[in-house]
Amino acid sequence: MRQTKAYLIICCILAAVWGCEKKKTAADGEMVICRPMISKVQTLDPTNTRDIYSALVVSQMCEQLYVYHYLKRPYQLIPLLAESMPAISDDGMTYTIRIKQGIRFQDDPCFPDGKGRELKASDFVYAFKRLANAKYASQNWSVFDDRIVGLNDFREYSKGFKKEWDVDYSKPVEGLQALDDYTLQIKLTRPWPQILELALNDYCTSPVPFEAVQHYGVDIVSHPVGTGPYRLKTWQRSSYIELEKNLNWRGELYPSEGEPEDQVNGLLADAGKPVPFADRIIFRIIEEDQPNWLLFMRGKLDVMYIPKDNFDKVMMPDKKRLMSFMQDQQIKLTIFNDPSTFWVGFNMKDPVLGPNLPLRKAISRAIDRQKYIDILFNGRVQVAHGLVSPGLNSYDPNMADYGYSRFDLNEARALLKEAEAIYGKPIPKLTLAMPGTDTLPKQMGQLLQRMLEQAGIQIQVDYMDFPTYMERQNKGQCQMFISGVSASCPDAMDFLEMFASKYFAPGSNKFFYSNPEFDALYEQVAVMQDSPDRLAWYRKLEHMILDDYPAAFMTHRITFYLGHDWYKNYKPFVFGYGVLKYHRVDVEQREQFFNRIHSSKKEGK
Amino acid sequence: MTAFIIRRLLYMFPIVLGVLLVTFTLFTLIGGDISQQIAGKNADAETIAEIRHEYGLDKPLFWSWDSQFVNHFKKALFFDFGRAMDRERISSKILRGIVPSLMLTVPMFIGVIISAVSLALIIAYVRGTIWDVSAVVICVAGMSIPYLSFIIFGQYFFAYKLDWFPIIYLPEEPMIKSVGLPILIGILASLGGELRFYRTIMLDEMRNDYVRTAFAKGLSTTRVLFKHVLKNAMIPIITNVVLTIPHLILGSFLLERFFGIPGLGYLMIEAIGARDFFVINAMTFIFSLLIVIFTLLADICYAFVDPRISLK
Repeated sequence: MRQTKAYLIICCILAAVWGCEKKKTAADGEMVICRPMISKVQTLDPTNTRDIYSALVVSQMCEQLYVYHYLKRPYQLIPLLAESMPAISDDGMTYTIRIKQGIRFQDDPCFPDGKGRELKASDFVYAFKRLANAKYASQNWSVFDDRIVGLNDFREYSKGFKKEWDVDYSKPVEGLQALDDYTLQIKLTRPWPQILELALNDYCTSPVPFEAVQHYGVDIVSHPVGTGPYRLKTWQRSSYIELEKNLNWRGELYPSEGEPEDQVNGLLADAGKPVPFADRIIFRIIEEDQPNWLLFMRGKLDVMYIPKDNFDKVMMPDKKRLMSFMQDQQIKLTIFNDPSTFWVGFNMKDPVLGPNLPLRKAISRAIDRQKYIDILFNGRVQVAHGLVSPGLNSYDPNMADYGYSRFDLNEARALLKEAEAIYGKPIPKLTLAMPGTDTLPKQMGQLLQRMLEQAGIQIQVDYMDFPTYMERQNKGQCQMFISGVSASCPDAMDFLEMFASKYFAPGSNKFFYSNPEFDALYEQVAVMQDSPDRLAWYRKLEHMILDDYPAAFMTHRITFYLGHDWYKNYKPFVFGYGVLKYHRVDVEQREQFFNRIHSSKKEGK
Repeated sequence: MTAFIIRRLLYMFPIVLGVLLVTFTLFTLIGGDISQQIAGKNADAETIAEIRHEYGLDKPLFWSWDSQFVNHFKKALFFDFGRAMDRERISSKILRGIVPSLMLTVPMFIGVIISAVSLALIIAYVRGTIWDVSAVVICVAGMSIPYLSFIIFGQYFFAYKLDWFPIIYLPEEPMIKSVGLPILIGILASLGGELRFYRTIMLDEMRNDYVRTAFAKGLSTTRVLFKHVLKNAMIPIITNVVLTIPHLILGSFLLERFFGIPGLGYLMIEAIGARDFFVINAMTFIFSLLIVIFTLLADICYAFVDPRISLK
């Protein structure tokens, strides 16, 4: 009897807890965006943000001077925190930027009375100096190295201190001046035509108030204080991030102009309405595909990528449309080029590969890229014929005729013979460094091994974790390596930069490729303003790379993105992240979806 | 017994020191330098050097009063593990992860123990029958199915198809709702092995004379099984139970990852993936400490349940 009572009590407690109300629910009509995130967020400090997951969250809370227009294509920069486009001196060395007045930081305990203060030009000066502070060791410093007058001196000066916050930020930097509260002047060491795209449009230059840095110290990584439309509400590391509206935000209207098809696609239906639409944004951090997929199909996530294992189940064989059961659920598919290039890189310092162009070409000819794509990526990438990917201004659709991307086993074998003649004996077994030890890298390694074997080229694949891979790559210890890059702006200069010898590893030139002719032309083109001439020079540089073949370019990424019908105003936006303010959820439509699921469950479907 | 406990506590120091030494040596000598990873893909040599300095990686490894190992030892001694690679305090990470991990593993552990021991007693009682054979077959089948398959199937069927549980951990829901399914999966996946283990122990006990005598005296089956047999089988049960407790605190790697539960198992997996040696070292140290403490506790428990054992 006593036992029975005990069981009853336990059951009652469990039932009570199980059935108790949610801690917090979406209030009636509250608009909440729910998104998946497949990797944890490293930091919410914009100045040290580099990975895309951190950037996606940071960009909703912190803003920078310029941003790409959400709807217009080709991408067009417009002022965000700046009042207008910069006044550029005739020599292209001085940028004078007016800052919008009345912009306030979000409320935060770091300010007196907890009220966010007004943004001043000096906050940008502080942001740049902080980026340069050697003791802060920002991941983004390489972008600014030797670009702004006096900033490298400030970096040198900061090395004399013990801690990041000991550095005196009042020390002037000639190239960074707050002319008044709302005017910022930047003087460059040499023309930098990409400064707007690569620096002033980048979240790493978002102003962070010095009060916050002083108040939170190292913990600033988890206390973002920005001027953006959202502010951090909850961050459960590795699990959950919730943002809420920043009540101090100045407000903005949804764009009224875009591409002609935007009208047809309903992307201009909200034109002129105040943003942000959503009251909250939730990021669920789940690294496994299955739970993400199940959540999406249950309507608990608004958007979703297509996991590799689900691709064939949900896509028609033409790989352009969704299966009918997905369409019945009113799930929409968006396919777009995600400007990026992946390659098998060659270490040009290596005594076997470096002096042997036919060998590098033989390797490229021996790889059947289409088969590689079909087997490993379900067609979610496309063949790369050159370095510059589709979606970038200087992409050349005729590049297929130029490089060595075409699969030709006979030519590969002939080139190998040529290579052996140069080497003086049979080519020894080569080593390919593969970042990652999961299934996909192993499949990639095995497939490449098999393809190259067919041409008589023996390789051994070394699988390693990413840090080990990076370390070896930077030390020039990888003979061949798999790598890639994603574009951060439509200008391909940061792609080309990877082949300039001044950027040898640990800089971006991991190939240790050195061609004085390329370097000279690169230096010349790097300071040119955008023009048809510059476009031609960009292509010439790309051709020079293909002539020397320091990498066998493999693939460009294509993104397949799913969204429920209730998720509105989604347009692929590949050069920035702070666009969730434009996205909207039709709450009623979502409710109808849940009701449908509920009733179909009742019917036992 | 006091002398025994003091002596065993003193033994702890060389054991824990040894663990610290081994993990430190493994990670620093074999694992390599992590400063490049923290500095980012294209960081210059200065930034890398600064990070090496910030994390004390520019100091000698062993042979100095200010060496990396001595500092590592000092930090461990005061449970001040410093900051992880993402610059968050490691102690905060660990403290935050303990509750979700325990919410998952304790009920799972209790569920497994209660069900496995009870079922083992019953199966031992019906030994040699079709029920016994069937149970063994089911146990072996359960042990043969990979843990991951239980998770994938359980998540799909119970959460997605039947909608009995949330698909993942939802911070906005009561915790018990989110951990219900992982607990159930954990119990089902572990039951096979545990049941076989306890069945073997119970069978050994059931063959003893005192069991026959108890039945001959007319005691009920329940009384014989749960009072006499269970009490005499306590030594292996205690060993198994007490030594499992440190693992509970470490959480469940796979369950936490698939259900997005921000526990210590997830933390450890992430740290291994990111090669965050600071977190891995801290977790390994805590784990070794717990193992030593709970081994001592197990020894003490033996003396309580078996009067023939005395601790000297």
